[in-house]
Amino acid sequence: MEAKKAIEIVTAAGEILLSNGAEAYRVEETITKICNSYGLRGECISTSTGLFISVVAADGEMVTSVKRIKVRLVDLYKIELVNSFSRGLINKPVSYEEAKKILKEINNAPNYKLGVRLMAACMTSFIYTLFFNGTIFDALTSAIISIGIYLMLEKISEVGFFQFLEYYLSGFIIGIVSFTVEILIPAINKDNVITGSIIVLLPGVALTNGIKDLLYGDFVSGTAKFGEAMLIIIAMSFGIGTALSLFLKWM
Amino acid sequence: MLKQTILAFFGSIFPVILFNIDRKKVFWAGLSGVVGWVVYSLIYYSTNSPAMPSFFGAFAVGIYSEAMARKFKTPAFVFLIPGIFPLVPGITAYNTLRFIVENNISEAFNKGIQTVVVGGDIAFGVMLSTAIFKFISKIRSKSRSS
Repeated sequence: MEAKKAIEIVTAAGEILLSNGAEAYRVEETITKICNSYGLRGECISTSTGLFISVVAADGEMVTSVKRIKVRLVDLYKIELVNSFSRGLINKPVSYEEAKKILKEINNAPNYKLGVRLMAACMTSFIYTLFFNGTIFDALTSAIISIGIYLMLEKISEVGFFQFLEYYLSGFIIGIVSFTVEILIPAINKDNVITGSIIVLLPGVALTNGIKDLLYGDFVSGTAKFGEAMLIIIAMSFGIGTALSLFLKWM
Repeated sequence: MLKQTILAFFGSIFPVILFNIDRKKVFWAGLSGVVGWVVYSLIYYSTNSPAMPSFFGAFAVGIYSEAMARKFKTPAFVFLIPGIFPLVPGITAYNTLRFIVENNISEAFNKGIQTVVVGGDIAFGVMLSTAIFKFISKIRSKSRSS
């Protein structure tokens, strides 16, 4: 395959991986693997916000491309699909058109419906409130809160806002609502409700993949992911802190 | 204990639905949370220290998810992320925040250090198990090729 066509495929694959939360070493490994299976030499550097790829053909022709990753979501299924696609290429390289078609299909791979995800968010909070020794009423309250929070996050990220503000607002709403509920119904403990609700906002993927990136020596991407996770956690705690201080002042 | 374990199972299943995991692996992801939590509680009852159980829990989750990743031929984080969810120090983190707001800095410092220690334990447990697995598979592939 020509280097120009190969780099198109490789960039598309890398973009899917990186924008869905894969580790840096996985992106780099996949890209070299795909290049090798087409008989080319590929080199890649991936940070958490962009990709630099260069592909060298057998006759010395060199093509380089830079891809900026703007949207970062979490979708583990797409990463799995790209992973198995690149593994399959070693045994049976597919043509340029076919590879593009496969990658396009992967990009449109099904996610769970919004209803299912809302239910999952609500159940997550419900279970973790019980897990942290809350009563069943605490759990119900935090389940209702986290449905609202998840819906709000979904709507805000459609508009495309600063991440900090999203999580600050969520923390603030969690704090306000649970404090109000505690005042209205004294049987409910706000501390349990808050600890259950914030689990939905926890940046689990960024944290674990940050750890792995650091382990593999990808320090740029590892510290960037840790920074992202810290920003989310700090924004969330500031939101809750604001709500708590307001209530402590006025109550 | 049994109640907590069952809750840990479901508590690992529901978060991964938000991350769009492959439908066939949802059950195994839930089991990863159970492994982590059982190891955590066993160590907790025998040592009663706040830091040790998180390390061993995360270590067990790491071993489990690397083994499962070999079995299903998928990336390891599919099982790793749900597994550490029950181990996250949510309560201590929240208490730190609450003490800061209540202007009780010495207690906040106390809880804050505890949160950081537990977080570091989890990170180190995951790192160690992954590193051991990679080391073994490297040795194996070397001895096979030579």
